[in-house]
Amino acid sequence: MASQSAASQCTIERRRVGEIEVLSVAGVVDMLTASQLEEAIAAAAKDSPQGVIVDLGAVDFLASAGMGILVAARHELPAAVQLAVVADGPATSRPLKLVGIADVVGLHATLDDALAAVAA
Amino acid sequence: MSTSGTLCNSSQFARVDAVADPQSAARIRREFSDWLRRYFTLDATKISDIVLAVNEAMANAAEFAYAAVNRLGTMNVQAQFDGRAATLTVTVTDQGAWRTADAATKEPKRGRGLPLMHALADRAAVDSSQAGTRVCLEWNHVTAAGAQPGQRTRSASPGR
Repeated sequence: MASQSAASQCTIERRRVGEIEVLSVAGVVDMLTASQLEEAIAAAAKDSPQGVIVDLGAVDFLASAGMGILVAARHELPAAVQLAVVADGPATSRPLKLVGIADVVGLHATLDDALAAVAA
Repeated sequence: MSTSGTLCNSSQFARVDAVADPQSAARIRREFSDWLRRYFTLDATKISDIVLAVNEAMANAAEFAYAAVNRLGTMNVQAQFDGRAATLTVTVTDQGAWRTADAATKEPKRGRGLPLMHALADRAAVDSSQAGTRVCLEWNHVTAAGAQPGQRTRSASPGR
């Protein structure tokens, strides 16, 4: 049961699709794990991609600490590097929209949509 | 109120004198989420909203409440269900002093906890004083597990 785990679990896998870095995030992004996401975005940006996509499709909890990382990433990435987020559902896309982050970073319901938008 | 640090039944959830740190907040969040799923019939959106809002209140206590004095303090999380009003009230309190909103919102990473709480709850009240902070979050139209949605006691007024 969830209450057995000692800490919030977050896994991030990184892969390259053409000129786009895709980070697939799973699990919990809260104040304990947000720094993992920050580091992953920074590492992805180092390889001079055209864009970075943060796929939150497998995230079941996203705290404001995680949302802040996405906004900070947009501020810190070179303007030429696109940043897009994939999120769908009450735990991720809903709060992202509620606090207006969809206005700061591109928000897409599917990875295909995000890839199309970033590649365009 | 139970004299032990925890309470968990169909109308109440409490964690008293919990350490106000991120690990404790994550643990209580999971236990509170389990409690919601066990005792209430809530759609996915409502559960997400409630758990996230409560998380944000605890996160603020864990991060800000005791930062100035550089020691760990405690926080209390208490949830109360009123079956007649179909209302769930969650209160998070600490004895610390939160950073001011100005300081928090200047950095792009920060400052979304309070707006989120207000957006996610039907009612959110944050009261800070030198004695500490009290966050009170309220959700209406909350149905206990096994009850019919919209079921009311006889005393409810018609034409709701």
